[in-house]
Amino acid sequence: MTPPSIPLTRQRNSRAQAALLFVALTAGIATGLAIYSSASAFIDLMRTATAVLFLPLLLALVLAFLLDPPVTVLERRCGRSGAIFVVYLLVAAGVFLFFNWLIPHWQNAWTSLQADLPRYTARLTVYLRELLDRMQAEFPFIDTHDLLGRARSLGEELVSGVIISTPKSALRIGGLMLMVPLFTFFFLRDGGRILRGCISLAPNRTFEMVHDLTNLITAQLAHFIRGRIIEATIVGLVIYIGLSFTDIRYTGFLAVFAGITNLIPYIGPLVGMVPGVLVALVDLGVGGQFWWIIITYFVVAQVIVDNFILIPILISRYSNLHPLWVIIAIVLGGKLYGVLGMIIGVPIASTVKIVLSEIRQYRRSFSLVDGNIDLDS
Amino acid sequence: MNILWGNIFRKKLEEESLAFFLGAVPVFAELGKRSRIQLETLVHVRTYKANETIFETGDPGSGMYVIRSGAVQVFERSPAGTEREVARLGPKDFFGESTLVVPAKRTASARTLEPTVLVGLFRADITDLAKRRPGAAYRILLCIAKIVSERLHVADYELLRLRQKHPEYFEDFRS
Repeated sequence: MTPPSIPLTRQRNSRAQAALLFVALTAGIATGLAIYSSASAFIDLMRTATAVLFLPLLLALVLAFLLDPPVTVLERRCGRSGAIFVVYLLVAAGVFLFFNWLIPHWQNAWTSLQADLPRYTARLTVYLRELLDRMQAEFPFIDTHDLLGRARSLGEELVSGVIISTPKSALRIGGLMLMVPLFTFFFLRDGGRILRGCISLAPNRTFEMVHDLTNLITAQLAHFIRGRIIEATIVGLVIYIGLSFTDIRYTGFLAVFAGITNLIPYIGPLVGMVPGVLVALVDLGVGGQFWWIIITYFVVAQVIVDNFILIPILISRYSNLHPLWVIIAIVLGGKLYGVLGMIIGVPIASTVKIVLSEIRQYRRSFSLVDGNIDLDS
Repeated sequence: MNILWGNIFRKKLEEESLAFFLGAVPVFAELGKRSRIQLETLVHVRTYKANETIFETGDPGSGMYVIRSGAVQVFERSPAGTEREVARLGPKDFFGESTLVVPAKRTASARTLEPTVLVGLFRADITDLAKRRPGAAYRILLCIAKIVSERLHVADYELLRLRQKHPEYFEDFRS
């Protein structure tokens, strides 16, 4: 009687299979969880380890891109390493002279700024309260208390933060001063070799294309980074000169701040204006000088110098980002790396865009999209 | 001396170096020693298995290859899929030089016939060298220009000969 025994074995089989499946699934899930947790622990470890290196590496990369043209010109005469030493010597001399001139001014400005900052933030709170009062008069349903308190605590936080973190940031800047020139030196000297090493990992079939594309992308990136830095420097200088015509204090700080925020398109210039306008309002009040400062920030620096002169010359259309992407990049960058992330988020997004459009351009110019060409036609 | 120590202190033989090989290749025979060492830092050495595709017709071309060891077959592929061998190349031969200066699609396909080592020289590296060491780049490019114009000359001559032999085939091209 074989037929009845078949379901029995089948049943046993299926039970064994179910048990096996259960064991396999459990083991799989356990392994997955273990890998996930160890991987996330590993990633956390890597993040804390690389957090210190992130800023110096980034700065060194930007500096290497900036210093590459003079090094390349000098290389014809005295070799790569010699050229780098000469450029370093020149840059060091320039930095030394600059600081020699800056430090006495800086110390005065810094001490008075530490005294003045609470005044400015207090004034900001007053302005905000006036604004809120007016708004409440027009729209009575808005609850104002919370907002005002937050603004005040934010201002106090800023002031205490600046005063406390000065020695700490001095230490960090010391570390940067040591690491950045070292990294820059090696990027300048061996950058080409490092890139070649990376390219040589590509498989034979795609090697040629990867090599060609990498060089095109590097050239575009170098152009973009140099363009952005030069643009920010010139805008900062223009604002410095424009503000020097008025009696406003802290011209240097304001110009540096405006130059750095100018790295962020659309939103940066507006943020860069805020401290200048605030200082002008508190110290000078609304008058001729105030309007001249506004005109310097807006019309001269932004519209005339930046939009009509610098951007058409320095920045290629490749790196133009849609405003939506700019906002997303700022928010994501801020979430990941705070204020630094907000500043570098947009340049990194532009970098990604440059890479993608260069690849698209390459594919189009060789019509790789349609596949092979027909030689007989 | 102990074999182990002998190996450590043995210098790399000059005949084994890439610069020496490049000097032995007819294209670069006229280069001086310094330019040859420059060239050595410029090229990419790639190792291929037997029967591996190097490039296909229509691929974006960006440089030339010199065969260091092994054998390479250059062939054309018809739309029907049949292959016609154009050339069979051995050590010190080179191919693909027409795309070195101007970006263009490959007009033929190439594959290895046996395990092969190729030395690739690409446009991006030459333009980079032209910025850093214009003299060296000029000498290397002159060598390549000589070979390319020689080949162009031969092709011109062949075309002329064919035109005289079969004038009827060339009627269409004149318009």
